[in-house]
Amino acid sequence: MTASWLPSPLRSFLHQVGSYAWFVVDFARATARYGPPPGQVMEEAWRIGIKSLPILLVISAFVGTNIALQGYNAFRPLGGGRLVGMFVSLAGVRELAPIIAAAMVAAKAGTEMASQIGVMRIREQIDALEVMAVNPYAFLVAPRLFGITLVLPALTLISIFMMLASGYLVSVHQLGLNGSVFLEFATQGIAAVDFLYGMLKAVYFGLVICTVSCFFGFTCARGPEGVGEATNRAVVVSAVVCVCSNYFISEILYGRLP
Amino acid sequence: MIEIRDLHKRFGDLVVLDGISLSIPPGETTAIIGPSGTGKSVLLKHIVGLLQPDSGHVFCFGQDMTTATERELYAVRRRFGMLFQDGALFDSMTVGKNVGFPLVHHSKLGAAELRARVEDKLALVGLPGTWDRPISQLSGGQRKRVGLARAIVMEPEVILFDEPNSGLDPLTSDQIDELIIEMKRALGITFVIISHDIVGTVKVADHIAMLYEGSLVAWDRTAAFVRSPVPIVRAFLQRNLVLPDAPGEPAQLPAPPLP
Repeated sequence: MTASWLPSPLRSFLHQVGSYAWFVVDFARATARYGPPPGQVMEEAWRIGIKSLPILLVISAFVGTNIALQGYNAFRPLGGGRLVGMFVSLAGVRELAPIIAAAMVAAKAGTEMASQIGVMRIREQIDALEVMAVNPYAFLVAPRLFGITLVLPALTLISIFMMLASGYLVSVHQLGLNGSVFLEFATQGIAAVDFLYGMLKAVYFGLVICTVSCFFGFTCARGPEGVGEATNRAVVVSAVVCVCSNYFISEILYGRLP
Repeated sequence: MIEIRDLHKRFGDLVVLDGISLSIPPGETTAIIGPSGTGKSVLLKHIVGLLQPDSGHVFCFGQDMTTATERELYAVRRRFGMLFQDGALFDSMTVGKNVGFPLVHHSKLGAAELRARVEDKLALVGLPGTWDRPISQLSGGQRKRVGLARAIVMEPEVILFDEPNSGLDPLTSDQIDELIIEMKRALGITFVIISHDIVGTVKVADHIAMLYEGSLVAWDRTAAFVRSPVPIVRAFLQRNLVLPDAPGEPAQLPAPPLP
């Protein structure tokens, strides 16, 4: 039965959301039953990490420099130039590092997942897995999912370090702030629980990026255009879902803090 | 062994299978032919449970594939081998790993035994010593051979061929036909071949069924099939074969409706 009274784009959107939900349920069932192929999880984690690391280092470094610069410009007129360290650490640990690491992984690894699985779909390799009695969810999605949820928290930590390091360098060598004051305020601004929350966000973003990217790969239309479209949708939808849901996660984790 | 009963399938408004009933005899080669877009591959996918029908049943080894659980489907599929149109080989693996893939997942063979079994099957399809060769270095015909080696590596009871000659030049196509005949002789198991290459089909098949616009329009032993008086069958055969005892004027094959 189709809800024909709904506008076509809304109907299509709801159909996609429903299909995605079924995909996640099927995948969860298959993973619980078969588990990922042994050895492939670490291989995937290594591959995702290595592919995303160089660009993440560059982006994180320059995000750190800009937070320091903007923080300095905002706080200095109010006499709070020393707060730059706190601003960099708070923004970096709580918000920017998890979302930037997720964006880079979505751009590098998520697109690769969608295109690889999409190509396998159109070349009947996924059908071949089914005919060989190998569950494609367990074989293709599970190792990627476990890999990404292992590696994204690590990448987030690296991103935090790069932001703090570059923020420190700009604050001390360009803005003329005292290095030990920067570090003192940076450590005052954050607690161990902030790192924990950052890691939780990273795990959640990993789940979103992997399931969304693999879903678009699995449901890829025939032909090269289908693969291109699947890849494009994977990165756009992953980014939108991660950024939007990040607000709600932050609201739950930090919204009621004094 | 394989029994198809009143199978119906439509995609949107397009009727692809319109009440197909067919019994595949065990130990023989059955070819299902017909023009492109008449539902041959869709029928094949129903046989292995990759697609579910709107109504009707497919029984394989007594198991109804339309109501089977995943576990039951997988148990039946282990008794099948399938050669896909382009081989459906995994590009990230070598020839040996592709052929050995089902063994890795479904057998307890040690590395040496597994390699020996794979080398044996590769030799059987005329590609000995290609274990380490990347898939990207294979020609179209070689991809089909590797796909066939993978299809037979579990020593199945039925092998399904989806357009084994598609995309091949006439010489390579002939070699694949010869290979199928050799395989049939060597293995003595049930083959189901989907094809629109009538020349090759007549060479390899014991029985031929023809689909047209989603319906089964003819089904007979090969020798009788090529003498079929059914106009659509004659029109289809006429493009490729010199027909024996062609009755009357050649029939015109009406164009199938556009999807």
